[in-house]
Amino acid sequence: MKVKLWGTRGSIPAPGPETIRYGGNTSCVGVTLSDGSLLALDAGTGIRCLGLAHPDEPTRLHILLTHLHLDHIQGLVFFAPAFRPQTEIVIWGPASPEASLRDRIARYISAPLSPVEVRELPCDVSFRHCPESEWEIGPARIRAASVAHRGPTLGYRIDDGDSSLTYIPDHEPALGADLEALEEDWISGFALAQDTSLLIHDGQYTDAEYPAHVGWGHSALEHSLSFARRTGAERTVLFHHDPLHSDELLDALAVEAKERWTELGGDPAAVELAAERSEYELPARAANAATSAV
Amino acid sequence: MSQRPLELILARNLMSALSTPAFLVDEGGLLIFYNEAAGMLLGKRFEELGTVGPEEWGSLFGPFDDSGEPIPYDDLPLVKAVRGGRPAHAELIVRSTDGTQHEVEVSAFPILTPHGSQGAIAVFWPSLAGANGAGPA
Repeated sequence: MKVKLWGTRGSIPAPGPETIRYGGNTSCVGVTLSDGSLLALDAGTGIRCLGLAHPDEPTRLHILLTHLHLDHIQGLVFFAPAFRPQTEIVIWGPASPEASLRDRIARYISAPLSPVEVRELPCDVSFRHCPESEWEIGPARIRAASVAHRGPTLGYRIDDGDSSLTYIPDHEPALGADLEALEEDWISGFALAQDTSLLIHDGQYTDAEYPAHVGWGHSALEHSLSFARRTGAERTVLFHHDPLHSDELLDALAVEAKERWTELGGDPAAVELAAERSEYELPARAANAATSAV
Repeated sequence: MSQRPLELILARNLMSALSTPAFLVDEGGLLIFYNEAAGMLLGKRFEELGTVGPEEWGSLFGPFDDSGEPIPYDDLPLVKAVRGGRPAHAELIVRSTDGTQHEVEVSAFPILTPHGSQGAIAVFWPSLAGANGAGPA
């Protein structure tokens, strides 16, 4: 399984000279499975670049949406494969009692917010609510579960061979809870991330920023590290950077994260901050399924 | 590992922050959490008791009606809420571990999710009809 980060920013695109290294595009992760098939995790503005990187293929791909906040769907109408008649796209996402996934996404892909309507997309697009039980896409087993954020929100776990990727970009597991004291089965998202090879997790706020943002659905550094430690993730990438966080601030946060991870008894190389275009390779068959940065 | 449904996790987190005694049961009626305020009422913290079924819960704390008779399990507000998917309210007596009886009013409501009922919450208040802490059983 190969993983590439196409958008690492949270909330709103933050382009500019001060965010050029960590990136300004919003959430999107490309996943190439062991059989070569392609998944996209979320469709923030980063998915535009993912589409441009695949000018002739794939003919079929799956987009797994964690939720429908704008920073996770904004790139859909600028995703080049959606405008190819030969492409089949399956969009997965959370169910809601209020309306179908298609109808909720169509509120964005429709006038006056969009120049095209869902029905006008040239590709063959379908919408599916994520099932409660595990399902398969190609060689991968996919699991989705509700996690603590604002509104119906999923986290995903993708198991392909011996490796696994867990993606929980918007997550506030410490809301009203002490992550260090809670039993494992009471921690939001725990089962998705348990012993995963690569955890991509919300890291929006510094500890100092968090008290002013309690209940906004995101984690402070302390919470992200605690969640990673409790779940036993082999490698953790802190994701969904606050739009106000410059490269300079994120560099300092990366140093702090590694220091604090070391204090928790971990390997400092196993924690890092997400940078746009970073790639990770998770061996399909390996003794310990260790990840390696590409 | 099995994971608690998110709705129960969030309910527990909310209850942990309340100063009103509150209880949480799962869809099968197991008592899976109560908060510190409830622990003070019962004389035993949840961490000391752990998850218990209705029989053990009944033998420890009651509840009883105003004549001192145990209230049948099916008639408890929490059970009505989790089974019927409707709110329920009652006045009853619970007994703490030191034998003190407490007349309380209980409101229970179900936790309904897109996947059906996941459990129920019950919140206790001192009864207005009688004195709180009526004395040893």
